[in-house]
Amino acid sequence: MATIKLTNVKKVYEKNAKPAVQDFNLEIKDKEFVVFVGPSGCGKSTTLRMVAGLEEISGGTIEIDGVVVNDLQPKDRDIAMVFQNYALYPHLTVFENMAFPLRLKKVPQDEVYKRVTNAAEILGITEYLTRRPRALSGGQRQRVAIGRAMVRESKVFLMDEPLSNLDAKLRNQMRAEIILLRKKIDSTFIYVTHDQTEAMTLGDRIVIMKDGFIQQVGTPNEVFEWPDNLFVAEFIGAPKMNTFKSELIREGDNYYVMAFGVKMPVDGIKAQKLYEKDVQSQEIILGVRPEHIDLTNRNNPNSIVCTVLVNEMMGSEIHLHVVTESGEELIVRVPTVDISVEQRSALVTGTKVLITFRGKVMHFFDPVTEENLLTREDLYSEVMGEEANEEVVSE
Amino acid sequence: MMNEYKGQDILEFNYLSEEERHDVIDLMPPADYCAQEQVTAESVKESATAVEFKPAKRHMGQKIKNRISNTIIYVVLCLMSIIWLIPFVCILLESFRVESTSQVGYIIPKEWGFDNYINLFTKTKFLRWMGNTFFLGLAVSVLQTAFVLSMSYVLSRFKFRGRKSLMNLMLILGMFPGFLTLILIYNLLNGWGMTGENSVFGLILVYVASSGMGYYVSKGFFDTISKSLDEAARIDGATRFQIFYKIIMPLAKPIVIYTILTAFMAPWGDFVMAKYIAHNSSAGFNVAVGLQNLIATEESKATNYTMFCAGGVVVAVPITVLFMLLQKYYVAGVTGGAVKG
Repeated sequence: MATIKLTNVKKVYEKNAKPAVQDFNLEIKDKEFVVFVGPSGCGKSTTLRMVAGLEEISGGTIEIDGVVVNDLQPKDRDIAMVFQNYALYPHLTVFENMAFPLRLKKVPQDEVYKRVTNAAEILGITEYLTRRPRALSGGQRQRVAIGRAMVRESKVFLMDEPLSNLDAKLRNQMRAEIILLRKKIDSTFIYVTHDQTEAMTLGDRIVIMKDGFIQQVGTPNEVFEWPDNLFVAEFIGAPKMNTFKSELIREGDNYYVMAFGVKMPVDGIKAQKLYEKDVQSQEIILGVRPEHIDLTNRNNPNSIVCTVLVNEMMGSEIHLHVVTESGEELIVRVPTVDISVEQRSALVTGTKVLITFRGKVMHFFDPVTEENLLTREDLYSEVMGEEANEEVVSE
Repeated sequence: MMNEYKGQDILEFNYLSEEERHDVIDLMPPADYCAQEQVTAESVKESATAVEFKPAKRHMGQKIKNRISNTIIYVVLCLMSIIWLIPFVCILLESFRVESTSQVGYIIPKEWGFDNYINLFTKTKFLRWMGNTFFLGLAVSVLQTAFVLSMSYVLSRFKFRGRKSLMNLMLILGMFPGFLTLILIYNLLNGWGMTGENSVFGLILVYVASSGMGYYVSKGFFDTISKSLDEAARIDGATRFQIFYKIIMPLAKPIVIYTILTAFMAPWGDFVMAKYIAHNSSAGFNVAVGLQNLIATEESKATNYTMFCAGGVVVAVPITVLFMLLQKYYVAGVTGGAVKG
């Protein structure tokens, strides 16, 4: 049982300097897996370290299970933490590394043995227990670090970019293992990463941060489908969302988007909601995900002509970087199964292609505030039904 | 609008149907491996023998040049080491000279024997001086190591107001030689009864009191130990002191030994402070003062000179042994901060 509540948390490193974290409000439910994600310097690690007790809290309160822990030492907060650089004790064997927190707590010898061997078994590092960290590979070291945190059996499990030091293949493998591990450990998790893929795959909820502020909190689905602002829209999803200046045109009840000389209708719920909110014609930043752009033919009335810049063959898909006649660069995601071999080989630099946007999945951002014109709340009820909307509001 | 592109050369797309997708895989051209030249061990060997190494003439010239410059370097180095070794050889040889006890105009003794060593231990208070110095060394090395290491750890890990200025202040203070305050220190210690025959305790106080200022080397070493180890240990439930002796000390073994070693060796060579505080009481001498006292006057020099040399040799023994035993740590300690392991 562990809930974590952060209220107006603020961190200032130097007087008069810009706060590293501010207005941080978040409630984390028991056994929830929350991921803090954002570019480097956004304050995600700082926030985690404040929860851990490694950084002083400049303002606001942090509660664990209803108890304000602002002035508690890390050891009195009942937390476990995994560090990016593993932070294993080099002079101790793997067994002693994992037993270290238990020895400090004066846990009886047989209990120490039981817990360590049990954790080692779950993590598959039993055969390395007598080795020193030096003799282990990166992935094994990270497992030991996780094991050391596991044996604590603490209420809160903090992870600070635990996979960043691993190579790509191992990272994917460890990511899957963490998902499995999470089901075996009965804890509340806070996981910090700069990698949106990790955030999307691991988190129950994602907290997206930038410049010390929370940008959006939501499930992976929510932040992907209904980004609150331009930053979230561009940060979540790979390859990133195409965004460019455009115009929203209202003609009576109908809405159109004017992009690259093509007037495309906005239809479905989005048009309806724009109408309900009485949005007028205005300049906007249009957001279109690469997977929502299709290659098309002359018969399509909404086609835009582009020139191929780069063809990135990823295997299952092609990331096609194209440039419009007005000089705007866009990324198009083309599933390789959808096109013929001749067409694949014809998609070289300089080739002219026609693209079209899928009208229902375009995002409209205010060019000044960069906020999404339609919020999650606007659209949620239509997608999930009225009941779901109530749940969102009550949250 | 669609008519606009009619004249242009545009690649058009109609995404494939379900059946057509499967055809694509069949249509993929097979990779033509046979055409590529296979790289085998033999082909590598062939290409290697094709480019044979032929030493050019200027290479020979380079070789001779290298040889000449190496010769010059070695000759200079040999000369320097001879100059450097002469005093030690002289002392060693003089200490075995029996035919005369004063300084003579030659180096190699005419009559060899251990007389000087026997006299040293029986006719002087040399054992006492050795004991004094040894005790001093032990006490100072224990206390000073504790002071220096905890000081360094605090300066390396804790961020507090005035930390930077404190470090700078200590660095600047350390540049003044200790005997600037000699008279003051003597008067203070005299008041506490720590001079004369009790000068050993006075000296311990003098050596240890300011030892925290020698934090520099070990702080540099501690700085190279990742701070996330401290943080991990803090989360694991360790107190600051537990982190210090359970995590940092074992990792900083070279620097701990280096600190002990330098602390232990200092009293053996100190003369100014030791002489001043011990004053004329031979019971309070350390070896350096004691030995110097043997040849302090022209008359005593004539009778004690070879004994003095013997004393020098005896003093060198414990230090040398200790140093040889621990030198690998000493080197690691001095250079440890440079390259992160």
